[in-house]
Amino acid sequence: MSEMKIISKGNLADFLKALNGDREVIVSSIENGTLIMGNMGSVKMETGFNGRPLIPPKEYFFPQREKIFTFNAKDPKKVDIVAHTNDAKRVIWGLRPCDLYGIKTLDEIYMSNYVDTYYKARRDNTVLMGLNCNEPCDTCFCDSTKTGPFASEAFDVMFTDLGDKYLVNIGSDKGKKAIEKGSKLFGAATDADKAKAADLEKKSKGAFKRSVRSAEAKKKLPGSWDDKLWSEESLPCILCGGCNFVCPTCHCFNIEDINEGDGVSTRVRYWDSCQLGGFTQMAAENTREHQSERLRQRIFHKCVYTPDKYNGVPGCTGCGRCIEVCPADIDITHILGRVTSK
Amino acid sequence: MTENIYAPHLITIKKIRDEAENIKTFTLEFNEPEMRKSFAYRPGQFGEVTIFGVGEAPISITSSPSMKGYLELSVAGVGKVSRAMHQKKEGDVIGFRGPYGNTFPFDEVAGKDILFVAGGIGLAPLRSLINQMFAEREKFKKISILYGCRYPKMMCFMDDLDRWGKVPNSEVLRTVDTDPEKNWCENIGVVGSLLSKINIDLKNTVAFVCGPPIMIHFVILDLLKLGFAGDKIITTMERRMECGLGKCGHCNIGEKYVCFDGPVYSYQQLKELGEEI
Amino acid sequence: MTNSINEIGEAEVILAIGSNTTEQHPLVSHQIIKAVKKGTKLIVADPRKTQVAKLAGLYMSLKPGSDVALLNGMMNYIISEGLYDKQFVETRTEGFEELKKAVSDCTPQKASEITGIPVGDIISAAKTYAGSKKSSIIYCMGVTQHVTGVDNVMSCANLAMLTGNVGKPSTGVNPLRGQSNVQGACDMGGLPNVFTGYQAVNNDELRQKFEKVWGVTLSPKPGFTATQMIECAADGRLKAMYIMGENPMVSDPDSNHTEHALKKLEFLVVQDIFLTETAKLAHVVLPGVSPAEKDGTFSNTERRVQRIRKAIDPIGNSRPDWQIICELSRQMGYKMDYASPEEIMKEIAKLTPSYGGITYSRLENGGLAWPCPTTEHPGTPYLHKDKFARGLGKFMPITYKQPAELPDGEYPFMLTTGRTGFHYHTGTMTRRVPILDREVPGSYVEISKSDATKLGIRNGAMTKVSSRRGQIVVKAKVVDTIQEGLVFIPFHFAEAAANRLTAANLDPVAKIPEYKVCAVKLERN
Repeated sequence: MSEMKIISKGNLADFLKALNGDREVIVSSIENGTLIMGNMGSVKMETGFNGRPLIPPKEYFFPQREKIFTFNAKDPKKVDIVAHTNDAKRVIWGLRPCDLYGIKTLDEIYMSNYVDTYYKARRDNTVLMGLNCNEPCDTCFCDSTKTGPFASEAFDVMFTDLGDKYLVNIGSDKGKKAIEKGSKLFGAATDADKAKAADLEKKSKGAFKRSVRSAEAKKKLPGSWDDKLWSEESLPCILCGGCNFVCPTCHCFNIEDINEGDGVSTRVRYWDSCQLGGFTQMAAENTREHQSERLRQRIFHKCVYTPDKYNGVPGCTGCGRCIEVCPADIDITHILGRVTSK
Repeated sequence: MTENIYAPHLITIKKIRDEAENIKTFTLEFNEPEMRKSFAYRPGQFGEVTIFGVGEAPISITSSPSMKGYLELSVAGVGKVSRAMHQKKEGDVIGFRGPYGNTFPFDEVAGKDILFVAGGIGLAPLRSLINQMFAEREKFKKISILYGCRYPKMMCFMDDLDRWGKVPNSEVLRTVDTDPEKNWCENIGVVGSLLSKINIDLKNTVAFVCGPPIMIHFVILDLLKLGFAGDKIITTMERRMECGLGKCGHCNIGEKYVCFDGPVYSYQQLKELGEEI
Repeated sequence: MTNSINEIGEAEVILAIGSNTTEQHPLVSHQIIKAVKKGTKLIVADPRKTQVAKLAGLYMSLKPGSDVALLNGMMNYIISEGLYDKQFVETRTEGFEELKKAVSDCTPQKASEITGIPVGDIISAAKTYAGSKKSSIIYCMGVTQHVTGVDNVMSCANLAMLTGNVGKPSTGVNPLRGQSNVQGACDMGGLPNVFTGYQAVNNDELRQKFEKVWGVTLSPKPGFTATQMIECAADGRLKAMYIMGENPMVSDPDSNHTEHALKKLEFLVVQDIFLTETAKLAHVVLPGVSPAEKDGTFSNTERRVQRIRKAIDPIGNSRPDWQIICELSRQMGYKMDYASPEEIMKEIAKLTPSYGGITYSRLENGGLAWPCPTTEHPGTPYLHKDKFARGLGKFMPITYKQPAELPDGEYPFMLTTGRTGFHYHTGTMTRRVPILDREVPGSYVEISKSDATKLGIRNGAMTKVSSRRGQIVVKAKVVDTIQEGLVFIPFHFAEAAANRLTAANLDPVAKIPEYKVCAVKLERN
């Protein structure tokens, strides 16, 4: 790990402006009381914020709706295929540890076995700059999933808010190159700075309102397969898919061809949800017909299947968004609590 | 620049054969000379077929690697994409990407008696394996093919079945559930009923089962009753598949993606995945 | 709603009648779910065992159209056991004796015979509801879409006043409005008998206020309701219609009759964002815009006026509705000239006391619930705190009346229609979204297991459903959540429109059709 630096709060904007020369800079902002992410040129940047944006930054690598091809089959014997990859250069500043780990998990899913061209183009050209969480939200539990509140990996550059300045930790060559763009704005970190950061991390860890015994849950989940808790917990689910859409590691999608007329069609992929009935519907049967099976699938996929299949990366990064957004008050920490209490 | 895993390759329809009621067999040739040379697959694999302007669907490859230079797909017109494919003409260009999925065991079952039990269009992926086995006939002992359909008009690959039945140490038995036009001379009854009409050397036989889910269910029960071990029954798992690449999530079961780790599984493996019959 | 959505979460008792809340109003059902977790008692009355019914402590499967009997039965018990709020009744209401007389026949036993609900449950519901000063009634189309729709709502109001459960937090009579801005449309006088803010057209003083500001003479005669317009089109009294953002060909009852009526018009203009089944009949189609393409406000079910903000420019030649209307008005000789929707709101505030204090700048951070008479007023979370609009609350003496068309020998099943969670109304927008279309691609008829067995109808089988007015063929969906003798069809699907079967039997006051009850027969297709 390279030496740590500091940058004063006042100089951060200048640093990001320097980066803005050759790439888009995405920052956090508060609009109508809601935390969002947006282009530095079009939103008012916020640096002193708590929490994370409701829509996770997976949007920047795996957009909600993405045009992947245009087919021109006007002449049915000579079809023209155009792929639409986006390799625009970007920096995202202010990513929370839960989201950084989320991106790390998506990297495994999208870039192992077959490499997803579209994800890779965006991912390779984005620099990830994170901001550690000095204060957890009501719904998060990243301490339990070992994906926060401070990140030890999965970033190019990591910032810690020390009050009047940031402690800056460089995590990769990409990050090192990015820092060089504003090298004059950075100074060397002192032992006092590092000690303060360690102190803030300790304080943050002590402030969580929710916790989960993650390792125990993973061990006990298979034994809960036939438990009635799945039908009880899923009873009020309205199949809105919100839990999947706001999850930093949910990666399922649907591909649809849209006829634009005149022999031209576009192939589009967009977010899908395993909580919807149609997700597993076939002509003759639906392999997950009941909501209890679908809720069980989501929890198992997050807590068991993803780490087992992808070298131990977390399927759930404890961001708490699914809890926040659910109109049926379905709470993964409550469910895992029931599992570990057995 | 990494290869675009979602990009369909252009493939031309060379021939269309009315295989059975609402089932057509397409003979296809890749447009790109490089693809014609290099495209390689094994029995059991499938591809994602694009009908431009309509969509993409997973379809099993029914030709065998022993057939060089072309690809055969047999398609029932039951969905949006397959129905659109049925409207295509010889010379039309469609899209294809693959091959995806795992393959039927081949060398692993050398020296064994092979029992095929197929229903309806389920014979299509098995045909790929059967023709490959007949191309390397000496590798295997007795080959028995039991094939059943709801009624005679739904019977596929009749020419192949006739040909297979004539090869030494090979037998073909056909059956239908009903014979509404009263022009069927062979067996009547479900395909599982044909099991009692052949001799099975239980110690040295591997069974391959493919067809509608309900048929697979009952045939596997019959085979288990006869004494087949779970790892000697090979079948294909049905799941809603879309990308074919283990990314879109639809066919996820446990740690596996049926399009990637499957769709070929032994009954033993199905049980381990929690897929009880 | 008399009260606000977030107050529901603090209620001690919630009576949800005729509302499929989790499927149709999930943000309201969120409040209900939170409340039930904290110990709130949930009572649900619905002929179908919907998801919210499954969450209830007490579920009453009432026969469609028997709501007055249920409510009168509860009130009969509450009065005879002295469980009503005597102080509230004495000081804040009038007409108690007439109410008492009207419900005197409807004992819980009698109510049970009419509704099919066990006597014990009716009594339990009555005791529970009357036993709290934080009892909230929520209701929806299951109560209103009847020939006794107005009676049903008034009975809810009777019950609330009887027990003092109105004019206080977490109480009230709370209809859940459906379309995003139906409340706003009504607030703006999208009704034949009122101007904005429910100011009656035949009130001379109020009418003259509008005449002065608008510089025209206005008719004091109430016009026709939407359902009456179809009648008038059919018999030739109505020559032309201008339909905006509505698809009566699929959503009006008795589709065959509606089609005939619309085709008889000499001139039909339809303003919409897609070429709907109704737009296809039009002589002129005007391209409107979706919510993403316009600025303005929506007023929601809790009377909260909120800003909607344009996200993209109108596509192609389409224009915001207000601009189209102004342009038409100009060309017809009456100059309507506004620079923006904000200016229109200024005029609304000037003419509408309940909107008097609403300005766009005040709406920047979250909206205001009317009445909001002045720019200092913070908005009104709940109504009727110290007095009702008319002073004292009036009990309406209501007795049970049957639905208009009951099953008989020829049409032995009762059909009730409604919605699903995945499609909105006639599916103009939702059926164009691939995932929603995948979830529910077409229509179906929900039928009980026993009825399906008797008719030899398997789950998924194509089934012909006919009424005196038409027939459709849909897939059968065999369920264990519907009463014997009752079937349910969602109305979203034009190619198998449930409204081919329904009848234009209207409530005599509101003229709302009885979508919830008509007679049909079923056979295997």
